[in-house]
Amino acid sequence: MNMDKPVRRVAIFALLLFFGLMAQVNYVQGSQAEDLRTDARNSRQYADVFNSPRGQISAGGEVLVTSKETGKDNPKYGRTYKDGAVFAPITGYFNGNATQVERAYNSLLGGKDTRITQQRWFDTFIGKKAEGANVELTIDPQAQRTAYEQLKAGTAQGRRGGAVVIDVKTGAVKVAASWPSFDPNEVAPQTGEKGGKRLEQLDKGDGVVKPLVDNALSQTFPPGSSFKAVVSAIGMQKLGLNSSSTVDTGQLILPESGRPLPNSHDTGNCGGAAPLRGAFAESCNTSFAKMALSMGIQELHDGATRFGFGKHVQLEPDMYAAESDVPVSIKDAKGNTIETGKDGTARSGIGQENVRATPLQMALVACSIANDGKIMNPYVVQKVRAKDQSELYNASPKEFGEAMSGDQAGQLEDMMRAVVSEGTAKNLAGRRIAGKTGTAEQGPGNPNANWFVGFSPVENPRYAFAVMVEAPGSGAANAGPVAAAIMAKVLQK
Amino acid sequence: MQSIGDQIRAHLPYQRRNAASLALLAFAMVLTLSAFAEVGLARDGNIPGGLFVYGGGLAVLAFIAYLIQAKFTPYADPLLLPLAVALNGIGLAMIYRLDLDTSHDRKVAAAAGKKLLPDAADAPGQLMWTFIGIALFVGAVMIMRDTDKPDAPLSFTPKTAQRYTYLIGLTAVVLLLLPIVPGIGAEINGARVWIHLGPFSVQPGEFAKLLLVVFFAGYLVNKRQAMSLIGKKVGPISLPRARDLGPIMVIWFFCLGVLFMQKDLGTALLFFGLFVSMLYIATQRVSWVVIGVGLLSVGIFIATLLPFMGHVNQRIDIWQNPKPYFDGGCLLESGKVVPVNPDTTIYKKYKAQGTISPGFSACAELGGEYSDSAQLMKGLFALGQGGVLGTGLGQGEPWRTPLSFSDFIFDSLGEELGLTGLMVLLLIYALIVQRGMKTAVAARDPFLKLFAGGVSFVLALQVFVIVGGVTRLIPLTGLTTPFLSQGGSSLMANWILIAILVRMSHDARKPAPQAIQDEGMTQIVSTR
Repeated sequence: MNMDKPVRRVAIFALLLFFGLMAQVNYVQGSQAEDLRTDARNSRQYADVFNSPRGQISAGGEVLVTSKETGKDNPKYGRTYKDGAVFAPITGYFNGNATQVERAYNSLLGGKDTRITQQRWFDTFIGKKAEGANVELTIDPQAQRTAYEQLKAGTAQGRRGGAVVIDVKTGAVKVAASWPSFDPNEVAPQTGEKGGKRLEQLDKGDGVVKPLVDNALSQTFPPGSSFKAVVSAIGMQKLGLNSSSTVDTGQLILPESGRPLPNSHDTGNCGGAAPLRGAFAESCNTSFAKMALSMGIQELHDGATRFGFGKHVQLEPDMYAAESDVPVSIKDAKGNTIETGKDGTARSGIGQENVRATPLQMALVACSIANDGKIMNPYVVQKVRAKDQSELYNASPKEFGEAMSGDQAGQLEDMMRAVVSEGTAKNLAGRRIAGKTGTAEQGPGNPNANWFVGFSPVENPRYAFAVMVEAPGSGAANAGPVAAAIMAKVLQK
Repeated sequence: MQSIGDQIRAHLPYQRRNAASLALLAFAMVLTLSAFAEVGLARDGNIPGGLFVYGGGLAVLAFIAYLIQAKFTPYADPLLLPLAVALNGIGLAMIYRLDLDTSHDRKVAAAAGKKLLPDAADAPGQLMWTFIGIALFVGAVMIMRDTDKPDAPLSFTPKTAQRYTYLIGLTAVVLLLLPIVPGIGAEINGARVWIHLGPFSVQPGEFAKLLLVVFFAGYLVNKRQAMSLIGKKVGPISLPRARDLGPIMVIWFFCLGVLFMQKDLGTALLFFGLFVSMLYIATQRVSWVVIGVGLLSVGIFIATLLPFMGHVNQRIDIWQNPKPYFDGGCLLESGKVVPVNPDTTIYKKYKAQGTISPGFSACAELGGEYSDSAQLMKGLFALGQGGVLGTGLGQGEPWRTPLSFSDFIFDSLGEELGLTGLMVLLLIYALIVQRGMKTAVAARDPFLKLFAGGVSFVLALQVFVIVGGVTRLIPLTGLTTPFLSQGGSSLMANWILIAILVRMSHDARKPAPQAIQDEGMTQIVSTR
């Protein structure tokens, strides 16, 4: 009996094993390579920066972030942030890890992106490293500075503030400011071990303040009465209301606890019955809580989803805002599900209970009101240019969704103007802004989250904004003037 | 009908291909020397001094090996030596390149009075082992004689081994068990496959691999007739007799033993696959393959069920979905994976207590099995970094991959040489294996046929298990990458493997001995 045949078969089997390996290597290095290179866990993509000049980040013609040679071997290049703390919510930081634009545009800034390497394939071929591309932000640097200063001045000691301004027609983010912030220079690559320690320290934070987490895009707060804009829009769709429909503004006894839900005042429009416009302008709690009760928490949740609640709004690739939510139920620390009951639904209707929103989310709400119901997808990077100034990327505005009809948006626009002309924010009259105030309680011992959410200019709005400051006081008194100051700067252009 | 072997032999020109071998060897040296040059040019902009020490050293060694091969085995397959030199040279260049980047860390460690980092590339050491490996090749080629000259001085031929089948089998088992013996055995990087021999660490499994091939070949040559002919036929599969099943069960239990005691799935897989393939070659019966694969699946299944073998389950889990385990993941009994990485509080708690493996302890507290996929993922990141053309030697960052010079050297090469380079490396391996298989087909003796076939297949299987592991084709298990990985045992064993193939290919390819016919002068009687 001869063994040649089985040897030959085993030889073929061995070949198949090698074909299997070759196929896998092709799969990993051919089709998977890009995914692996940009995997969030892959520290290589961030560590590389130290060896090659990274692209600049600029805004409004002003260069904000640059890389300079350190003259040392490791790192060869550092990273310098102009007014670091002011722009950190957008630029992010870069050291071993990266956040925000530094992370989202890492492959372009670092010169690794195929859009660069394909153009400069010969350089790649001869092993010359392609240079990083420059990123231009949509941010208005002067307005951003104003926002930072205003938030700093308006926020209570040890508490937080955030502001966002969006171009309603495009979705371009003009301002995304946060107080308190941190200086990315302190943790830049050239700081070495000291920077790493500082990063750890920043990561821990103090009280509710988490310096690495910005309060414009990445932190949620109870929106309070500013959420009434959302409830009104859902009410118009589900209950067939319009701005002149009469709503009940009288006392409300909560169905489960039997306790009353108070209005801030029981005079004027909040005296018993009023048109929706009036109830909105004077921010009568009872009418919106009643609207929420008659629609139910699920309708409220679903309606809010159309504005962007319930998901991480994506600004750029790998750059997401925190998730705003109108929860139908929540999980407690032990993992038990707690349904939002009737009382909870009523309080959700006035932006309390477990309703949470980022300033960005509330700016999107204002965007839909000022833009005939359409929400534009927010973005922060306008252009990316290679070192030779050729354009590698230019943002094209995209629609995020349609939250309401143009007619409903028009009515809400008018209601927001009424807030300033005759409602809770009369103090802002003549400052070219309209919007909805919000003063959310955050539990005993914590200052209110004061909101002003709206648009500017009052007629033919071009920008939507949301401002939140944690301070004793109210949305009209604290957040409104901050918003007015920021918008004055934005409109200067 | 002529067998395939006879057909091949009939077409063999019985040519000495020494010139071809030399030319290929020169090409292998060009590859190696350019690799060293590229490392230097990319890093420092000049030809490195290492080029002359390492490249030159290897060139001299390879040339000596060639001369010995040409003298003692002139009909040997011309490809085997140059291919092995190319692999050894590329591996050495990579280790040299990694050594340049990690030597700083080692200097720091030495200055602090600490021991040499265990996870550091060691180019001088690897050069020394290359030297010893090639010396073993030279020695083996010189000592082993032609099979048909049994009475030559020092008559040791590959066939001699057949006489000591069981002794060799026993030696293999002893070698495999040595690492478990307390005092001699040592656990390095989580696998208990090492023994301490003076200042050196040796992996006896590498040598056991070769001895087992000899044992299987010797055993199967004796039993193959009975095993292949007797048995009941049930449907398309003929079942073996119960007594013939005995050996495969023994080997199966033995491999499971290796799996349990050393927690080394890779070695178990390697040995069992080797046995089944040789059983198939010997008997030509597919039923053995079916039974073997069935038994192996049962074995692995049992291993996943046993609570203390949870890590086998986890290996498979990590293979399918490595991301949750990055930097430490804890597989809870519910099947959920929770992170236990340096950022987590529970990890910090044990870290603060000074626990040696805080992740492991933290996971134990949660009642789960701890594992970390960072090695695998970082290896894949290296491959991703390399892409199609690679970063170029000396221009990547392969030191970011853990064990970049040993288990993961294939990924390091993938980073700097790219898909292109890896395809070349795999082709080199495939060529060695196919040349070995050709030798098996051409061999005249059944024992040598099985021997050559087994040796070639075990090389293929080893490359498959480790390369498949680091590229996530199959679950990752630790094995050395033949000729590339840093380490003496592996280099020595694989150089001996090549020597055996060279010797056997010479035997198979040389002309059949000529009958002595030139008796003319004595026959002719002068009539004058």
